[in-house]
Amino acid sequence: MLKYIVRRVLMAIPVLFGLSIVLFAFVHLLPGDPTRAILGQHATPELVARLRESLGLDKPLWEQYVLYIGQLLRGDLGVSIVTGASVSSEFVARFPGTVELTIAALIFAVGFGIPLGRFAARHPQGARDASVTVISLLGISIPVFVLGLSLQWIFGAQMKILPTSGRIDPRLNLDIRTNFMLVDALLAGRANVFVDALRHLVLPAIALGSIPLAIITRITRASVLDVANEDYVRTARAKGLTERRVDGRHIMRNAWLPVTTVIGLQVGSLLAGAVITETVFGWNGVGKWVVEAIQDRDYFVVQSSILIFALIFLVVNLVVDIGYAYLNPRIRYG
Amino acid sequence: MKRTRLGALLVAAGMLVAACGGAATPAPSAAPSAEASQAPSASAAQSVAPSAAAVKEGGTLVVAIPGDIKRTDSALVDDGNTAYVALNVMESLVGLAPGTTNKVVDLLAASHQVSADGLTYTFKLRSGVKFHDGTSLDAAAVKYNYDRWISFPKELQAYSYYAGAVFGGFGADSNVKSVAAPDSSTVVITLRSPSSTFLLTQTLPQFGIASPTALKAGKADNTETDVSKILFAQGGPPAMVGTGPFKFDKWVKGQEVDLVKNADYWNKDGVAHLDKLVFKPIADETAILNGLESGDIDLAQKVSPVDVATIKTKPALQVIDRGASCNLAHVGINQVYANHIPAPANAKQIMTNLKIRQAIMYAIDRQALIDAFYAGLATPADNWMPLDTQYAKPLNLPTYDPVKAKALIAESGIAAADLTIDFYYPSDVTRPYMPDPKGIFEAIQTNLEAVGFTVRPHTDTWSPTYLDNEYAGKYEVFLIGWTCDWAGPDNFLKTAFFGYVNGKPSTEFGYKNDVLNKTMNDALAATDDATAKTLWEKAQDLIAADLPTVPLVNSTPPAVAQAYVKGFVGAGNLTELMNSVWINKP
Repeated sequence: MLKYIVRRVLMAIPVLFGLSIVLFAFVHLLPGDPTRAILGQHATPELVARLRESLGLDKPLWEQYVLYIGQLLRGDLGVSIVTGASVSSEFVARFPGTVELTIAALIFAVGFGIPLGRFAARHPQGARDASVTVISLLGISIPVFVLGLSLQWIFGAQMKILPTSGRIDPRLNLDIRTNFMLVDALLAGRANVFVDALRHLVLPAIALGSIPLAIITRITRASVLDVANEDYVRTARAKGLTERRVDGRHIMRNAWLPVTTVIGLQVGSLLAGAVITETVFGWNGVGKWVVEAIQDRDYFVVQSSILIFALIFLVVNLVVDIGYAYLNPRIRYG
Repeated sequence: MKRTRLGALLVAAGMLVAACGGAATPAPSAAPSAEASQAPSASAAQSVAPSAAAVKEGGTLVVAIPGDIKRTDSALVDDGNTAYVALNVMESLVGLAPGTTNKVVDLLAASHQVSADGLTYTFKLRSGVKFHDGTSLDAAAVKYNYDRWISFPKELQAYSYYAGAVFGGFGADSNVKSVAAPDSSTVVITLRSPSSTFLLTQTLPQFGIASPTALKAGKADNTETDVSKILFAQGGPPAMVGTGPFKFDKWVKGQEVDLVKNADYWNKDGVAHLDKLVFKPIADETAILNGLESGDIDLAQKVSPVDVATIKTKPALQVIDRGASCNLAHVGINQVYANHIPAPANAKQIMTNLKIRQAIMYAIDRQALIDAFYAGLATPADNWMPLDTQYAKPLNLPTYDPVKAKALIAESGIAAADLTIDFYYPSDVTRPYMPDPKGIFEAIQTNLEAVGFTVRPHTDTWSPTYLDNEYAGKYEVFLIGWTCDWAGPDNFLKTAFFGYVNGKPSTEFGYKNDVLNKTMNDALAATDDATAKTLWEKAQDLIAADLPTVPLVNSTPPAVAQAYVKGFVGAGNLTELMNSVWINKP
């Protein structure tokens, strides 16, 4: 087991290194550079040249890359070219927002996806199965920004029951400490603020969770159907076990494995989806920040934060795989 | 299918809401009060001033702005969002009268005097003014700020566009020769050469006077040259310590900037009614509209013009006209363009021909543009700056007349086969003066083709490609515009458009007129108002005679607020102080 983990961790190093080169090339290949974002319509050739020099953008690309990697190896993620703030402190300030949203979306996707999948599997081929299929197809095919804006319009603008943007009502004057709004509300011991933070989470979590919800629903349905057709399930039924017991003991326990993997993999798509969701909902997280940084060609912000995302994705995958290997020993020796 | 999906979501959301314990929802006041609509006029300042008895004190106002602020040091920013916030915290020696774009009034100065040669400005400071950190404003503090701006180290100069642009450079290049504090309440600023817009430029929040104590504590004393390490610029503490009606409270990057009431404000009549002011960056215009309708946002600095008609039908919301415009959209023309794509379909430089440029202006139906794309909230431009700008006058430029356009084309001597224009518009941007570049382009294309031009459309992404290329002279005809930094003629005519760059016509327009360039320089250096006025008017006549570009419109994008928001005074250049705002909720 330990050997397996070490091997996986070692494999992550060339992946991250390769990614850093691709990312660097990608952001520097985009037309223009951050001087335009800083100077806007005020840019004159002299100002641009002076700024490029002071930012080190006049150096050859390979030299800029070597400098960047050197910084990274020393644990320095660089400085935002546009705002001048350090990337690591900015990331730390925004990451809680993304984590909070991702967890909420995952809870939504799992909480609704698994029951829906089981429901569909229990009534295969009928109208109920078909309607679940339609829901999951829509979940996958509606673009997140369309869904997000529609949710805002329905529940915010028309029904006025849920807030449309932000993480907390600023009128509540919450003292922000950890930047996890729910945690901060608890620390402050203010129930109404906690509820407000939860209400702000609802729409973005639904928008972000819609794709994972669809996937989890489909996988759960397929997995449950697979297992339900196994001989040992028929045997269990023949033994006269109650449906409840067959379902819980014999079907779900075995159907869990593929579902667990898929849930783990969703973390990647959630982090990617957060980029759009955060932008649509004015949600202060890393995703929105990266979008702005790409628009501004804020090289270090884009490179470093996407590298961190990649690292998180690798770690989550590793944890899922280890969990899977633990649950299913065949993997370890495969 | 759609219904199934929405139904499921409804159920899901309903359950989640229920799970959250059925929170009380913020009830947006549905009934508009009788005084909801505010007089939309440039002189709105008086008309919205509520009687003292009616005003309600307290509360928090949530203002949506298009993007986050860049830094918390007003001297080290050049973006509109930071300026919009900083204006409420930082005060300069002089300011603008609320609701106007160019009426200079004394602010931290109790009075000011300009010497006959236009070189010496003497300011007498108000007494008893305290910075938000409790220290007192005196002449030494003002001098400290000016000295700081003039001597910004090289690394910080890129962040301090305004000090560089307004003073013409830093150190020995700065037009500010010296700042003296002969006594604690007198500041004497000596210029190297006269500047007829010096006072107007000093109203900018970038020239807000900060507490020297706080500047030093926040490493903003020019010893730290790495902007990421200047606490005063990065949210502090301390940061943004001025004398204004609101105090900086906190900046949660990407989320909000909070200001709180300055109860000790020196101007007792200007003490804020609100307890707190929150600026939330929201870029998506649909999200802003949804936020207004749900009641999450009290005031939106900017909405999409296409939404204005919808908003006007909502009794809970009000559209607030900002009065005077401070921008210009025009059809940029590069007279020396020789880069036709694909060549050689049109190798002739037809834009050097005045009659062709005039024909373009006669061909465009600008009122139709205003109705279609600006929700009516713009006026056809009759100058290269709005007529409310200092020294601006009507120029009687050509108006829509396709017959005249055809006649001018016939007179121009250009063959019909050569009437091909390479026309550029940006693909991914909205600007206050250009809410729908593609739509505006298409309308103009139809207009131009109706009189005999062949228009070849081209598009690029706004930043950086479009801005870089149009500046470098790679576009023949293009949509472009300018939002004022200050409402002075120099900012539009000289800085933004036709001033020479390094002694040569700008590559952007390729418009050579030495007399104009000299006239503008002389006008800026005029020592008395009458001379400045004469020279600036001469400059405008020179431009009108040449019609180097085709002015389209001056737009006045409105603010939108909940009906319960009272006392807001809009201004075309967005110098909007929130101390007069109050919330009329039961």
